[in-house]
Formats: sequence, C-alpha cells, structure tokens
Amino acid sequence: MIILKHVTTDNRLNKLNTISENDENDSIQKALCDVANHQDKKAFEILFKHFSPKIRAFGLQRFRQEAQALELVQETMLLVWRKATLFNAEKGKATTWIYTIMRNHCFDMLRKKMTQKEDQVSDDLWPMLEDEEVIEEDHLLSRNLIAHINSLPKPQRDVVEALYIKELSQPEVASLLKIPLGTVKSRLRLALSKLKTTLEVDHD
Amino acid sequence: MIKHHPNEQLLAQYSSGELAFSLSIAISAHLEMCPQCQQKEQRIVAQQAEQAWDADNVEEANFDDMLQCILATPIEAPKTKTLHKKKANNSVSLEGKTYTLPTAFRSFEQLKWSGFGTINRARVINDEQDVRASLLHIKQGGEIPAHQHKGYELTLLLAGSFSDEHGTYQKGDFILLSGDVKHSPKTEQGCLCYTVQDAPLHFMSGMSKVLNPLGKFIY
Ligand SMILES: [Zn+2]
Repeated sequence: MIILKHVTTDNRLNKLNTISENDENDSIQKALCDVANHQDKKAFEILFKHFSPKIRAFGLQRFRQEAQALELVQETMLLVWRKATLFNAEKGKATTWIYTIMRNHCFDMLRKKMTQKEDQVSDDLWPMLEDEEVIEEDHLLSRNLIAHINSLPKPQRDVVEALYIKELSQPEVASLLKIPLGTVKSRLRLALSKLKTTLEVDHD
Repeated sequence: MIKHHPNEQLLAQYSSGELAFSLSIAISAHLEMCPQCQQKEQRIVAQQAEQAWDADNVEEANFDDMLQCILATPIEAPKTKTLHKKKANNSVSLEGKTYTLPTAFRSFEQLKWSGFGTINRARVINDEQDVRASLLHIKQGGEIPAHQHKGYELTLLLAGSFSDEHGTYQKGDFILLSGDVKHSPKTEQGCLCYTVQDAPLHFMSGMSKVLNPLGKFIY
C-alpha cells in the first residue's frame, strides 16, 4: 500500500533554467493575483493555458483514464478561478498553491474510485481553502497607533498605511501593492498584533 | 516535546496525496501538532510542485470550451465571510474529560464509542481492505497485554501519555511499529490515541485465547 516515489532531477538543467523559471514564476503569481483581486479573465486564461495540459498529464499518470484526467483539469482550474482570493503569497509560491489544489482534488477522486465515497476529505487533511480567522478591524487606530507604524517592517507598514491612512479597501490595497488579498490579510494580522503588543507595553 | 516523527518518505507520500486516508489522517494530525514536520512538509510539497509542473512531453491540448465554462462561473465574493469560515473541530468527551480532535477528524461527526474494561474505542475507518483505524481511549492505570502485529501498527498520541518497553510517549508522538516488535503499552494518567493497523493483534502470553475478544476489539 505504501508507494515509494523516486525523485529524479537534473541539477545542471535546473541551473540553466533558473532565470527563465523565475520569470515564469513571477508571471504566474501576477496572473493569480489579478484573478484574485479583480477577477481578471485574461489573467485566468494565461493560467489555464499554462496549467491545463500539465494537469491532464498528471491526471493520466494517476488515473490512466482520459475522462478522469479531464475531470481533474476542470475541477482544479475551477477552484483556482473561484478560490484565488485565498492564495497567500506569504505561505508559498503560486505554482505550489495550484499544485496543492490539484493534489487535493486528486486525493478525493482516488478515494471515490476506491471506496465509492463522495465526501471531500481532502479539505480536512489539508485545510487550505478556508479563510483563517476573519480580521476584526478594531479601530485601535488612534494617534497612538499611527505613531508606532514606523516600528513595523516595511511590508506590514505599507499595508497599514494604505488601509488606515489612504483608507483603501482590502482588495484595493491588494491591487495597489500588487500582492494577493490573502497576503494583505496576513500582513494586517501580523501588524495589528504587533501594534497591540507595543501599545500594551506602553500602557504598563 | 514530540520525539517521534513520521519519516521523510511517509511525509512525501502524504504530501503527494498517495498515502491511504487512514495514514494521511495520522500525518495531518501530527503536522497540526509539530511545527518541525510542518516545515519539512512545506519544503517537500514545493519540490513536488516544481517536479509536477516541470514534466516534459506534455501533450499540447486545447480545452477552450472548458475555459469558457469556468469563466462563466461566478466567483465567490471575497467579502462574504461565512463562505470559508473555518468549520469547528470535533470534540469528544470520555471518562469525564473532553478532547478536541485535530482537523483531520472533522468529517467523523458521529463517532460510536464502545467500552471494554479500561479501553474505549471508536472505529474511524474499516473500508481500506485489511486496514482498521480507530480512536482509542485508555483510562488511567490501563494497559494492553503484550502483543505483536503481523503487519504494522501506527499510534499517534493525541492526548495524555503512555509507555512501553521501548520508552515513554507524549502528545503528538507518531509511533510506527513494524510487525516484529513486541510491546505492552500502559498509561498512568490515561491517554487518547489514533491507531492504524493492517492485521489483527497477536497476544504473546499463554492466555491468547482468553485475550482474543480484546484483540478483536482493538484491531
Ligand atoms: Zn514531527
């Protein structure tokens, strides 16, 4: 039952491709952000054209059946389209995120094939398609807080400034800073908790 | 502190989605308790992604209809908070104590517990050929007589602690024993475990016949 997967990579090849690979990763991440931030159909088309043949190939390897490979393409890309806002660049690359979505759906499909069960247990094994806690925008935002903004690392400071000083919405901040919405949320969460601690220390 | 972790090979099988559900539950639950393995797994999955997307000889394909069909699907508005709100994890109450189960157990809403001496058991999986997976609660002072397994025995300690001939185990420990290892676990303060086995227990003492019902109960 335990299947060993052998990893073969050619390091020389990898080195040669590093530059173009980085470019590719950047453009994929940008496309995913555009889908997340303003449902950009052109950007999704780029992702779709890039990934769908690869997902089909992966599906054929796992299922050895065209119909199931195509189902995997359809379901994975549909989730990328609908759930793009949950991508968080702080936690990993866009390409990894799309891989895990495919992996999850693949797991559920294999399970269905073996046990006839329709439940999507992959969401419980890898709970990645849910928002973390919802951020309460508590307006501890006072002169106090503004005074401490400079103590934040730049990425967090940019988010807090855009939200509270420029008074942009979270999706607006995402497109202004060219980062995914999930990243805005996680940076805000970090910044707020840091500011809270600073304020608490001050009050003591 | 967690001292027993799944090995690299198991982590890799888990993160590529190729490990059986029963064992995947154990890895997922261990990761929830173990930042060290979490980091490892993130590295592994990033490598696997690169490899999957790097594959050569990918046939060109044109799925234009599919693309149009997806683009016609409305996107969930990012502001609707309830849509992805985290589902609550299940909790169980046993012998006067309440435990919150790791996220991997979320789909098992109605666990059926049955008791046998100091042991309470709830079957989690029994549809993977010979594999049986259960939650096992052992009351304080409880023990399981010396036994060995024909196959493997995985124990993930979810709460409390127990010890056997080989050591003492704490919450989060991932203990995978192959068939030839004998042991007789006992717990002083009680414990809650998740266990996966692929063959019945084999008791070592002369009372194996007497112990048979217990063996069936635990497997
Ligand atoms: Zn670990």
